[in-house]
Amino acid sequence: MRRRFGLQKAGPRNRSDQRAELLLGALACVVLALIAGMIFFVFEKAWPSFTHNGVAWFSPWAGGNADDELVAIFQSPGDPAHYVYTMHAWPLIYATVLITATAVVISTVFAVLSAMFIVEFAPAGIRRVLEPVVRLLAAVPSVIYGLIGILVVVKFFNDHLIAQSAKDSVAGVAALNGFSWGVGALILTVMITPIMIAIVVDALRSVPIGWKEGSVSLGVNRWRALWTVSVRAARPAIVAAAVLATARALGEAIMLSMVTGSVGFQPNPIDGFIFFIEPARPLAATIVDNAEGLSVTPFAQTLYAFAAVLLVSAAFLSFGGWYIRRRLRAYTLSPI
Amino acid sequence: MSRKGIRLLAVLAAVSLLAVVPAVAQAKKIITISGSTSVYPLEIKLASKWIKTKKGKKYGFKILQGGSNVGISDVAKGRVSIGASSRDPANGDPGGLVFNRIARDAICIITNPSNPLGNITQDTIKKIFLGPTFTDWSQVPGAPISGGIDPIGRAATSGTHDAFRNIFLGGTNQGSFVAAKSSNGLVQQSVQTDNRGIGYVSLAFTSGVNVVNYNGVACTLRNAASFQYGGVRSFYFVTRGAPVGGVKKFIGWVTHSNKANKIIGTDWVPLH
Repeated sequence: MRRRFGLQKAGPRNRSDQRAELLLGALACVVLALIAGMIFFVFEKAWPSFTHNGVAWFSPWAGGNADDELVAIFQSPGDPAHYVYTMHAWPLIYATVLITATAVVISTVFAVLSAMFIVEFAPAGIRRVLEPVVRLLAAVPSVIYGLIGILVVVKFFNDHLIAQSAKDSVAGVAALNGFSWGVGALILTVMITPIMIAIVVDALRSVPIGWKEGSVSLGVNRWRALWTVSVRAARPAIVAAAVLATARALGEAIMLSMVTGSVGFQPNPIDGFIFFIEPARPLAATIVDNAEGLSVTPFAQTLYAFAAVLLVSAAFLSFGGWYIRRRLRAYTLSPI
Repeated sequence: MSRKGIRLLAVLAAVSLLAVVPAVAQAKKIITISGSTSVYPLEIKLASKWIKTKKGKKYGFKILQGGSNVGISDVAKGRVSIGASSRDPANGDPGGLVFNRIARDAICIITNPSNPLGNITQDTIKKIFLGPTFTDWSQVPGAPISGGIDPIGRAATSGTHDAFRNIFLGGTNQGSFVAAKSSNGLVQQSVQTDNRGIGYVSLAFTSGVNVVNYNGVACTLRNAASFQYGGVRSFYFVTRGAPVGGVKKFIGWVTHSNKANKIIGTDWVPLH
């Protein structure tokens, strides 16, 4: 590694360098050990929930109602021999995937286009305002988005976008009162787009100016030069941004717990427009909503199982992102 | 050692001294409480009054929240001296615990202000929250509006859910179609924005919504105190075994003194 970055040992080894190396190395090891310990802990706790249910835990065809099952687990008798573990978590997994995927797809489009605007087209004055605002937005705590969601967005959906006839059509099955996966995905998009914009802006800036100038000198206009050269070269960074945003979206709990409807309902795409305003509850929000029940052993183990699924998805996500980035790098000669 | 290192050590030593000194100077016995968020406002008031009395002077308090179940498991494991609970003893609770009732609290049925429903019977509540047999407001006797009903409730882990199940639903769990919110405030907020919503909350969370009479009796402090109102639950101080020492004195004061009764009577129902 040292050679790759052109840092060679200069003369006799410096003692304070040596000390720093040891200290930083030890810190890195501690972090690694902490992560390994955490993974082990979560899986150790989650194991009974998985073994009792097998494939049915994940299966879309397992049937059962996740909410009824959660209540049954929570009300398990005190005797460990009679603990209830039945959990078919598909509706919660489905809600997680649905909300995350929707938000990431929309925000990727938005982020790339706005980053292009900020880097290439925005007048200096606008850029000076826009960039700090984007970075500020990326740092707003999620509970504030949740509050805005409940007080403004959910209310607006309920009052103006959802027809009374639509509400009547599903009465007794699902409450269409604005609390919905659609609102959750919408606010999540607003939450993760700033992060992606910040990363993509940095990437577009670091594309060598000569590449773009080359294409412009061949007679291509600015838009095409940007789209075919800069954005192409920045593809690995766009993937990295999307991975980071997805990780944040997967783990988002408080905001989604506040606006998505608090029901383990499975929104159905064939319902037409109603689909977007149907309630749901993703895994992370389920953990937050039920954290109070951690004192009941089988219930805690079920919550840890949710956590384990999120942990594994996050791991797969970074491996997938790393693999795609490597592939893209081979074709784009990207400097990033 | 470099000068920076020495300075750092000095700062550390000073900080640790500061942390130690008050603990030594205090020399009071500390009573620790954790548990229900519903009981929290009450126990804070009671504790701060008791430490000003003659018996309470020798004691200090450390009070945490976390939910009824957290309090019960903490006290069972000996982590705290008192676990605060807003729900009755349950099957899954650890053995050897004593539930000392300290006060009562009313659970009210609420609807949106644009739906000023006057009265609701236990039968109607069951038909809305269990079935659902009633899915439209036009089916509810006396409802001024029509259209689908949006039932809003609490998550299974909350003490309020447990009390609602036992008192209003006759021991049966609410249906899974009922939204399971994680706090009283969220239920209140949801009913406030949804003109077709119906929910249940603790008496302290009824501003800005329409409070419905239950079986013909208004949900008020006075009706709860006279036991005319049916939706009353208990608050408990849970101890491991019978309370002893300072905890015994404190619980005795809470349940028997006039001063404590007066404090409880501001927002809750005293036992006597």
